Amino acid sequence: MTTTHEPAAPTSVVIEDAAASHIRESQERKESLVQWVHGRAGDITRRPWENLAVFAAFTGFYIWFGYWLVVKMHVVGFETLDRLNRALMIWHNDPAKLSALGFDYPPLATLLISPLAIFPAVTSSLIAVPIASAAFAGLTMMSLNTMMRRAQMVGPLRYAVLIALGLNPLFLLYAAGGARQFIWLAFVVVAMGALVAWYVTADVRYVMLAGLAFSVAALSGYASLLWFVLTAVMIGAILAKLGADGSEVEGTTIGFTVPTAYVIAIWTVFNLLLLSKPFYWITAASEAGGIDPGGSTGVELFQDTVDLVIYGAPIAIVVLPVLIFMGIARSNPMALWLGVLLGAAIVSPALSVALGLTDAPMQMRNALPILLLSVVGAIWAARSADTNNMIVSVALIVLLVASIPWTFQAMKTYRYQNLESNFAAAVSTRESQEGAQTLSGATVGTRDEQATADYITANITGRNTILTDNSKTYAVMLLTGKPDLFVDRVDKSDGPWKDIARDPGRYVNYMLMSTDGDDLLNQMYPDAAAGSDGRLLVIYRTDRYVLLGVPANFDPDDTAGQAASADGAGQ
Amino acid sequence: MTTTTTAPQVRARLTDGVTGDLGRLLPEGICRTFRVMPYAVADGVVLVAAAEVDDPITRQVVEERIDRQVQLVRHTGNEISEAIDEVYPPSEGQVETADERRSRVQLARMLTNSGLVTNEQLQIAMIEYSRTGDPLGDILVAHEAITEDVLVAALSEMYQMQRVGLADFTPDLEVARRLPERLALRLQAIPVAATEDLVLLAAARPLDAEQVLDVEEALGSPFRQLLANRTELDQLIQKVHSEHYAEISTVSLMESQPEASAHIVFTGGQKASAVCLGIALLLCGIVWPMGTLVGLVALASLIYLLVSCYKLQLTFRALGAHLETEVTDEQVLALDERTLPMYTILVPLYKEAGIVRRLVRGINELDWPRTRLDVKLLCEEDDTETIDMIKSLNLPPHFHLVVVPDSQPKTKPKACNYGLQLATGTFCVIFDAEDRPDPDELKKAYLAFQHVAPNVACVQAKLNHFNQNQNLLTAWFANEYSMHFELVLPAMGSAGAPIPLGGTSNHFITSVLRELGAWDPFNVTEDADLGIRLHRQGYRTAMIDSTTLEEANSNVPNWIRQRSRWIKGYLQTWLVHMRSPGRLLRETGPRGFISFNLTMGSAFVLLMNPIFWGLSTLYVLTQAGFIQQMFPGFVFYAASTLLFVGNFTFVYLNVAGSLQRGEFGITRTALLSPLYWGLMSWAAWKGAIQLFTNPFYWEKTEHGLDGGEHE
Repeated sequence: MTTTHEPAAPTSVVIEDAAASHIRESQERKESLVQWVHGRAGDITRRPWENLAVFAAFTGFYIWFGYWLVVKMHVVGFETLDRLNRALMIWHNDPAKLSALGFDYPPLATLLISPLAIFPAVTSSLIAVPIASAAFAGLTMMSLNTMMRRAQMVGPLRYAVLIALGLNPLFLLYAAGGARQFIWLAFVVVAMGALVAWYVTADVRYVMLAGLAFSVAALSGYASLLWFVLTAVMIGAILAKLGADGSEVEGTTIGFTVPTAYVIAIWTVFNLLLLSKPFYWITAASEAGGIDPGGSTGVELFQDTVDLVIYGAPIAIVVLPVLIFMGIARSNPMALWLGVLLGAAIVSPALSVALGLTDAPMQMRNALPILLLSVVGAIWAARSADTNNMIVSVALIVLLVASIPWTFQAMKTYRYQNLESNFAAAVSTRESQEGAQTLSGATVGTRDEQATADYITANITGRNTILTDNSKTYAVMLLTGKPDLFVDRVDKSDGPWKDIARDPGRYVNYMLMSTDGDDLLNQMYPDAAAGSDGRLLVIYRTDRYVLLGVPANFDPDDTAGQAASADGAGQ
Repeated sequence: MTTTTTAPQVRARLTDGVTGDLGRLLPEGICRTFRVMPYAVADGVVLVAAAEVDDPITRQVVEERIDRQVQLVRHTGNEISEAIDEVYPPSEGQVETADERRSRVQLARMLTNSGLVTNEQLQIAMIEYSRTGDPLGDILVAHEAITEDVLVAALSEMYQMQRVGLADFTPDLEVARRLPERLALRLQAIPVAATEDLVLLAAARPLDAEQVLDVEEALGSPFRQLLANRTELDQLIQKVHSEHYAEISTVSLMESQPEASAHIVFTGGQKASAVCLGIALLLCGIVWPMGTLVGLVALASLIYLLVSCYKLQLTFRALGAHLETEVTDEQVLALDERTLPMYTILVPLYKEAGIVRRLVRGINELDWPRTRLDVKLLCEEDDTETIDMIKSLNLPPHFHLVVVPDSQPKTKPKACNYGLQLATGTFCVIFDAEDRPDPDELKKAYLAFQHVAPNVACVQAKLNHFNQNQNLLTAWFANEYSMHFELVLPAMGSAGAPIPLGGTSNHFITSVLRELGAWDPFNVTEDADLGIRLHRQGYRTAMIDSTTLEEANSNVPNWIRQRSRWIKGYLQTWLVHMRSPGRLLRETGPRGFISFNLTMGSAFVLLMNPIFWGLSTLYVLTQAGFIQQMFPGFVFYAASTLLFVGNFTFVYLNVAGSLQRGEFGITRTALLSPLYWGLMSWAAWKGAIQLFTNPFYWEKTEHGLDGGEHE
């Protein structure tokens, strides 16, 4: 007897439906991805304690050195005081105002240091000045250390590199002096560290971290946008070269660019809404410090650029060709990208002048990004050198050590500078620079500001009783620690402030103005600073500031008083 | 592919010993099942001792597993068994006894001789047998090589036992219930008739001596066994005990832990507190209108800020590390299937006849022996279409049709509770009908249970969507799930925080689940509630890196219905667990307490969003002074931070979640997430209103809208 058997049961027949098809396609697509997703790629082990130690050591060192430099030697940049005063107003103005950030600086350059102003005593004692940059310098060092670990550099050599870089006088001045450059540079270095990690591990999460870091850098220093754009192009190019499909390139690039695009868009909208000038943030970016705009012809710009590199970051002369060679001859896309970034850092100051984007392009501080990018490039060169890793590391240390005296000497005489020569003088002589002149002719120190602030603190207690143009008297306001004493342009914006300034007797008891002709109060009452306005009584005076009493019966329409003062001025 | 020879001139014999590690060329299961043992190499040919050298199945199995030329050499069964025992020392209970082997061989011969099973089917079944050691007949039925009726007939012949058909049998409930329900379920046996001195007991398989004693003791009289079809027997047991199951599934939690049940929406204390708070607010509003408004805005901003910071902290933590319980592919491959326990899969179905075939295929594709699967297809009594569809498929007995009697509340958790009472698995998991779990999900969950701390009672797999590219809504849904399951939940699991479980793919230790009172049938997000209850009892949930793909809701009204139910359930869950905040704090600890409130606070944030969006828009358009007054100083800072940083960060985390999954194609849609939040707020308000008007109503989500084929 034979029986037949039909094995095909209905449920065992494989019919691929739309969902199954999608799942299969998705799996096939994921298998072809260039990057690691949905898991963790092999990477260096985490060492949070080492990171913390590096951060704490360098931050602590720069705070200590900065305290000596700022508080003892009085080498202090006024731009930092301006930002700290804005930070103080965010918390302690009457009313507290986020708009104290203003549009003169990238917003995060102030916002990120605003926690230092929560306690006014910290800012008024000036200890906040070194902290404002030291913490970011510490972050930079921590990122570089992690980068060097990924580059397989051994511990002693890593620490030697960090120390040699950290003692570079240009680096030291800006890390300890409260400069805002270190804020955005720190985040650029963090972003580059993340991108190096991405390149090494192919883990897509690092692209996101780099994107976030660049977004913070963008709102801390607009110069970082150039590197951001170049990096976005690099990410797409590297993925395409490695065979990624269109959606992977697009998705990854979106993941990288979105944070920066968002913050820039938001900031542009703010500019549009509040100033009716969407791109004011580009055109009005403040580069306080220098008064000499530098060369303007092509030859002069070239010469200035060469000087900048030779004196500020000579290591770039070696690193740039090495990176370009590795990138092209050895098909090392990361080296090529770092070479392009370094090249961009070198030419961007001259480009800024050529495009009229800045009034102080060739400042020596422009060498800082070149120096840092050179170090990052050298670290990558060490990683790419495989068995010669140690030789490249040692060469980097030697170059960094050799550039310390070289740059220090250059700082004394370099043409376009801020406080470099005074820093060099303070370090060389251990003498206070209070009252000394910078090479550009400005006076160093805060004696007048401190004296005026002390007088106000001792004698005036009423809130909103002193009318002032805070864009000129910020240092005094900061040192009082009491921005609520002042009726400033931040309180209710410029319009109401000008109304008060036209008839101050109805609103305030005092006026604080600087003797600088740009002070708006000085412009409205041109004879007051000299004590020649009969309606306003000079109460306290220094070379830079005048505190005036405003009588309750102040008559804004008293042309006789003004005329008398004009006559007096003319005598 | 290798070739096999059977040349007679072979000098080397197995009794001379097995050379080196040659014996381990074949796995133990294959050696014992097919009685083979590689023992020597001669002239490059591997000599394999075999009891049946002419058996084509044995030859093929050996050839496929040894990547060299092979020669089968005839040996006696005893010689081979001794050699196997030397190479693979036997562990107690794992090795087939002589009787068992005799029965297996007898069954195989019976089925092949009668032409009921082909060689190919037998080979597949034998190989599975070699891996699992499960009864060959059950394997053949599970793979639909033979029907259960054929197997019962064969067993009846082998054991000389009578059969009984139960398909149209109407039980005498008094007789049927003489065997206690738990015992009936465990032994798969039920009395079908009785005289004064004898009970006729229908049983799925012949009972062993110990089981016989248990039954005799329970019945209090002698009995005679009749063999029955397992599917029919299962239906009969359900029919006999359905009232009991229905009652337990509805009232068990309510009666045993009334304070944990959502059958009361607001307790008296909560109502009194709400009234007092309302009166206080009203009075404050009258006396200090602007101050009260500022206070409310400040409170709302604070909650926003805390919820956002918590979520950000979790997601950033997950971005920097792999927080799921690690189970590698190698571990999955190395798993000894003989040690695998029974696994129950609960699949609630309602008006989903169209996707039953696909569901069955999906479950059969799971990498878990079918003979150790206990699949409960949970249908509502009034859903005749789905029930008829399941019956028409004549599914093998590892699929169990479970018909839940029609009663209120008619919810998914009640159906699951019903199914859980019938569950025979050591572990159990819920899948929705349209789910596509990774084939190795059960094994990964099982291995995860072996690796985690002893207090982990639940393992949650990740959820995502297979139709993410269908439209913008599905892409948003996939973005949201990617963030939630790739970043948020792993971080919560790793931090030991109470996890609101996902609706499906949560794997439980069945006994613990029963001990906890299972799901609350009155809670419309019973999964989230169970996750919190589990945590309160000291148990924890772990995440595994295995994904179940679901159908993303592609239709806005349908999506709103689903989401409104979820948010209503979150509010229900919050109300239930905050009945005694002090007790919750004691049971979960401060961190767990905060985490629970911040997690549930996301529903509050969704409710608040439209109010704040409206205020912002109104202010931009009118510069209304009263709005400015509502946001003084620090309140304004917090609100601004949330507006510009918080919103962006959440958008970006959606991008991050999708990148993390490698779903690069939907990153751009994540940028439009704020529009999705608008829909979420709409659903939140619907759910919140429904909490007062119709708290137990289950907003059914319609499936099968992905445009795919479901038949």
